[in-house]
Amino acid sequence: MKPELDRSYPDAMDTWPVAKLRRDQLHKLRRVLKHAHRGLSFYRERYDKAKIEADAVRNFEDFARLPTFTKRDVLDAIREKKSFRTGMESGAGTDMGVLCMTSGTLGTSFLYLPRRWAEIRGNSLARAYWWAGLRPGMRMLMAAPAWHSLAVQETRVIHRLGVTCVVPWGTFLPRHAGSFLAAITEVKPDFVSIFLPMLYALLAECRRRNLRPADAFQSVQNVLVVGAPMTPLSRAKLREDLGVKDLFEGLGNPEGLTAMECSHHRGHHIFIDCCYVEIIDPGSGAPLAAGKRGNVIVTSLIPHGSVYIRYDTEDLGEILPGLCPCGKTWPLLEVYDRRANAVEVARKEIFPYDVRLCLDKVPELIHIPFALLRGRRAAEVLKLKVQQPMGGGALEILENQLKAQIKETLGLEARIEWTEELPERWKGVAVIDEDNGGRARV
Amino acid sequence: MRKLRRLIRQASAAPLYQRKFDVLRDDASSSLKAFVRETPTTTLEELIAEKLVTGDPYSSRWATDHAPLVVFQLEYGTETSLYVGLGPDELKGYAEALRRCWSLVGLGSGDRVGIFDYGTSPVSYLASSAFTPYLRRGAADALGCLVTCNDGEANMSQRAVEIIKYVRPRILFLRSDCLHPFALEVEKDSLSLSDYIDALVTAENEAVLSTAERVAYEKRLAVPIYRMLRVDAAMFLAVECPRCRLLHSWQDLFLVEAPAGGSEEGGKRNPAPLVITNWFAKSCPAIRYVSQVKATLEPAGCPRGPKDLRIAT
Repeated sequence: MKPELDRSYPDAMDTWPVAKLRRDQLHKLRRVLKHAHRGLSFYRERYDKAKIEADAVRNFEDFARLPTFTKRDVLDAIREKKSFRTGMESGAGTDMGVLCMTSGTLGTSFLYLPRRWAEIRGNSLARAYWWAGLRPGMRMLMAAPAWHSLAVQETRVIHRLGVTCVVPWGTFLPRHAGSFLAAITEVKPDFVSIFLPMLYALLAECRRRNLRPADAFQSVQNVLVVGAPMTPLSRAKLREDLGVKDLFEGLGNPEGLTAMECSHHRGHHIFIDCCYVEIIDPGSGAPLAAGKRGNVIVTSLIPHGSVYIRYDTEDLGEILPGLCPCGKTWPLLEVYDRRANAVEVARKEIFPYDVRLCLDKVPELIHIPFALLRGRRAAEVLKLKVQQPMGGGALEILENQLKAQIKETLGLEARIEWTEELPERWKGVAVIDEDNGGRARV
Repeated sequence: MRKLRRLIRQASAAPLYQRKFDVLRDDASSSLKAFVRETPTTTLEELIAEKLVTGDPYSSRWATDHAPLVVFQLEYGTETSLYVGLGPDELKGYAEALRRCWSLVGLGSGDRVGIFDYGTSPVSYLASSAFTPYLRRGAADALGCLVTCNDGEANMSQRAVEIIKYVRPRILFLRSDCLHPFALEVEKDSLSLSDYIDALVTAENEAVLSTAERVAYEKRLAVPIYRMLRVDAAMFLAVECPRCRLLHSWQDLFLVEAPAGGSEEGGKRNPAPLVITNWFAKSCPAIRYVSQVKATLEPAGCPRGPKDLRIAT
């Protein structure tokens, strides 16, 4: 098998001067905008209504004045048209491609991903996997199921880099951890691509089988994790437990975002060849400078398939100031959580990531799944459900330690409920709405 | 018989078959009859035992020097996991079998197709080259269909209904164990399924939905339901024909035996386990694999595929 790769990453583009990167991005932004204004009714109607001419966008400031939209707008369009065709997709039904779905608390939307989209996005993603240590001839565990847009991209990455792959039976829910663990120990991949909650489920499975995770992951050199953020402490502990060279975190969504850590782990380099990222103030919509937290706005630079222009992901994030010591000039992004996962406690906005940092400070609770409980009204006390660590132990002591950490770090009182198991959810259970009968949507 | 000789020669490179073929008489490859008579079968239990003894994920079935391009863990609730390794021939032939299944149930250019099954099921991963590395042409690519997949978890039924409503696939393929939760969700939504789709196709590994269940669900959901049979260890697919309601498969892809040992009762042959030899699986051969599915072979001659193999379960 010959890898399609005709050059080695990293190439010069990794370190292009910032001015050159910006020029390239602006050129691609204008191209995709023209494409959308001419051929995609979703945008044409919006821009015409706002009296915006695509050709009039000459710089990033002009671009920042275009209207944003959210998943709710996409879902409304689907319901109004009674079709997956919202007017954001070019070539649906004529170009060969597949329809992928995105799920979430609001509902399901569809993305049309033609072959050309998969090639461009997959080729771009191959660079991320290269950064994470995937090399021609290696075997990779591919965890994304067919319906997931990551599978479409990974399919291309594997082909492009000339690696082979193993696919465990089932899907990335914790109850399939046994299959995943068997695939790792028996087929011995060199590289594992996995969703973080599933990785935690694999560790739990190792504990159940009295197997050292490092023994299970003996063949694995590097792990690429997506789906949920790792805290610095949990990364260090995971690396130690798994005995791998390194763990890399990828950020992404099918609407357009790809961002990936380098070996310095200072944030996620935005893949400027395929996406343009802005951070805006959620209230005013004004652009925020590097170092300020706000909503992450994504524009896909690929003028094929479903095109997302100034899509408000409703994620809380920031562009990190400064350059990465690795020498790559691609800007660094950090995404902390979904805005929808914010819980108001004692007039403070708390995200699961904030609480994870507190759990990490209690050694027995690193990697232990938890969820925040959210009532209809803002609470005065932080309520959380924490899965009991294996082996029992003195829960009362752990509880006191955790409460002390929450008090010290977040300045909040906490009420902790221990549970044997949290509901299953692909991306972990971040928040459980008490009004929803405590159910988490998969 | 060149095809047979070539298969035996290639399979002999795999330790499992090498042992079996050591005892073969020279004339075993002289005709299909001789092959069937002389060649020992392979059972699921044997694959499990071989895997447990050797630790080889492919149960000593891998027959080339090259590593498989793609390895799939199989859906068997066995004490140890089983795998198939797929090279270019397997990917091509297996996807062609799925294309023929799609074609037989009436899918063609421009149709939309929904799948409610795990991404790791051949029903899903052979559907499009977008889903599986090194698959040059999935069933959708070959026929010119647009495909969308939903994960095969029962609690994803609501999303399957969203596919029905907003994608309007001509046919929805779904796991047999998702049929009940899907039906509940359709009823909860008061959806008139026949306004949206032409048919459902249920699929499972080494089993098919019983006729009684099929009839009951057809009545309940008011759409035709066809059945697809997967035998994943042998990379085998067959699908129920809308015209003759027997499972069709293809002689150029598979040799299928149903060696009924019992006597005929009232003119009806007793069903026996289907024994499958795969013609295209060269890197990971499946030779005379005894499936868990009991069936009889019926004469060819259905107008929708006059030369197709026909299987009655």
